[in-house]
Amino acid sequence: MSSIINLRFLSRTQSFILFFLLILLLIVLLISFSFGSYSFPIFSILIGNTSAIETTIFNEIRVPRVILAAIVGASLSVSGACLQGLFRNPLADPGLIGVSAGAALGASTIIVFGSSLTSAFIFSTFLLPLSACIGSGVVILMLFLLTKGFGHQGVTYMLLVGIAVNAIASVGIGVLTFISSDSELRSLTFWTMGSFGGITWSLLIPALVIIFISFLFLLPILRNLDILQLGESEAKRLGVNVRNLKYRIIFASAASVGASVSLSGMIGFVGLVVPHLIRLLSGVNHTYVVIGSALMGSSLMVFADLLSRVLIQPAELPVGLITSAIGSPFFLWLIFRINKI
Amino acid sequence: MSILSKNVSLSYDKKEILENISIEIKKGKITTLLGPNGAGKSSFLNILSGDLESYNGNVFYDEKNLTEMNIQEKAYFRSVMAQSQSIVFDFSVKEIVEMGWLEKGNIKYSNNFETALHEILIECDIEYLKNRKFNTLSGGEQRRVHFARSLLQLWRESSSDDPRYLMLDEPTSNLDLFHQIKMMNTIKKLSNEGIGILIILHDLNLAFKYSDYIAILKSGKIISFGEPRSIINNDVLSNAYGIKIQVNEKDDNIFVNYV
Repeated sequence: MSSIINLRFLSRTQSFILFFLLILLLIVLLISFSFGSYSFPIFSILIGNTSAIETTIFNEIRVPRVILAAIVGASLSVSGACLQGLFRNPLADPGLIGVSAGAALGASTIIVFGSSLTSAFIFSTFLLPLSACIGSGVVILMLFLLTKGFGHQGVTYMLLVGIAVNAIASVGIGVLTFISSDSELRSLTFWTMGSFGGITWSLLIPALVIIFISFLFLLPILRNLDILQLGESEAKRLGVNVRNLKYRIIFASAASVGASVSLSGMIGFVGLVVPHLIRLLSGVNHTYVVIGSALMGSSLMVFADLLSRVLIQPAELPVGLITSAIGSPFFLWLIFRINKI
Repeated sequence: MSILSKNVSLSYDKKEILENISIEIKKGKITTLLGPNGAGKSSFLNILSGDLESYNGNVFYDEKNLTEMNIQEKAYFRSVMAQSQSIVFDFSVKEIVEMGWLEKGNIKYSNNFETALHEILIECDIEYLKNRKFNTLSGGEQRRVHFARSLLQLWRESSSDDPRYLMLDEPTSNLDLFHQIKMMNTIKKLSNEGIGILIILHDLNLAFKYSDYIAILKSGKIISFGEPRSIINNDVLSNAYGIKIQVNEKDDNIFVNYV
């Protein structure tokens, strides 16, 4: 483990916080497994004291849904933290800079045009996340070109680029909505709100694999991401292969955001808020921030999904609405704070 | 054992920035680059450090051509303290210094990390700042932190005879007088330990006091090179800087007056 992640640079407080966040995640997962439109006493599940129908609901609906929420929260937060480090810009967030919108456009394209193409393919379940990954990858590459290789650009510049990219993607989604059939329209609408409903294991597994691999890909470079904060030429002088670092983050962020968005739709502000909360707790080094963001992002998203399921039972609030309600005031506060510095 | 530049030239937009510079940076010696703004000092340092790759001529690190070395090898061979950029996130002073600890050195000497760090924090007089946020420090304090970081990059066990070189681009800028002298004394101490030093200075008196060799650059050419005493005279300096400079000597010290 120590050869992949360099834990030497975690302070005692940071290790304690990471441990605490892990426990918190386990607790939130347990609660979320139990409660919802149908409540399962978790102990009866554990000892197998449930009816067949209950077991089916639990295994086929509740568990995949909660796991999806957890991995989406983790992947959005981790890519937020990594993109903020890469751009050396505290406002980089997959949603704000258009990476999520690119993924949504990729996914929408498959929904509208894909049905005629893919029904025959065995790969159809992979095609949706794949296309979303390509969408987010194209956006990150576009940002790469527009910011001249992720050079140190002003905060405003990055946000303006994000607005433009988001606008381009929404035009694409708008055109697709216009030409879509009724059933396609229903699937498309889902993307603008964000939801974890309707997930099945066969859709979940590919995303789980993609996100897991992209995390493994990120772990060895967290220390280098710290060194990059000194500036690109300084990082090179310290022996950091900057190009490799950039490619890893682009690839991993595109893949994990793409996979997440393809299953959950666009969920805003998580990638922005979570890394900042982690930094506020105890420091800014990326070993701590990225691992912490994964843990806290999962907990937060699982909790938001729980709220969306229980607040207005038996109906459901879109989870994107809840994260935006929490995230947008935080975003305002962040702009205010940066302005003061 | 040295860093050797052979006929190094650099041009940019058809403008000649450096012309045929051949110089040797020796192990255990302090070599100082002097000269007016725009003379090509920083460009030359960037070529020797391996940052600037579009030059003509050759640079050798202990007989190995610089172009054949990868960035990890270079990082282990030399450390550079240049003009630094602002840092966005709130790293602590200790964390910034720790970034100098190379992964390659890290494995070999990982048990010495805490000792090395402590030694260097004390040497650079920033031990009392180590838990402060880097961004809250003054310009001079930030320079000392970057200095400490470049020292940590070169830290080896005393038994090690790895070749080591330190390149410094105006390290004393923004420092108060006390810390200028303290930093120069540290640099002298490092050269006595066998580290080869290349340094760009603007303060002529500091340069005379501490250098083993001085190269004076003007318009991309070396107009004088040698031990301070042998090359320093009124004409050379006045020619280089375009003002009248008077060299004086008292009690074995050389110092200048601007007339």
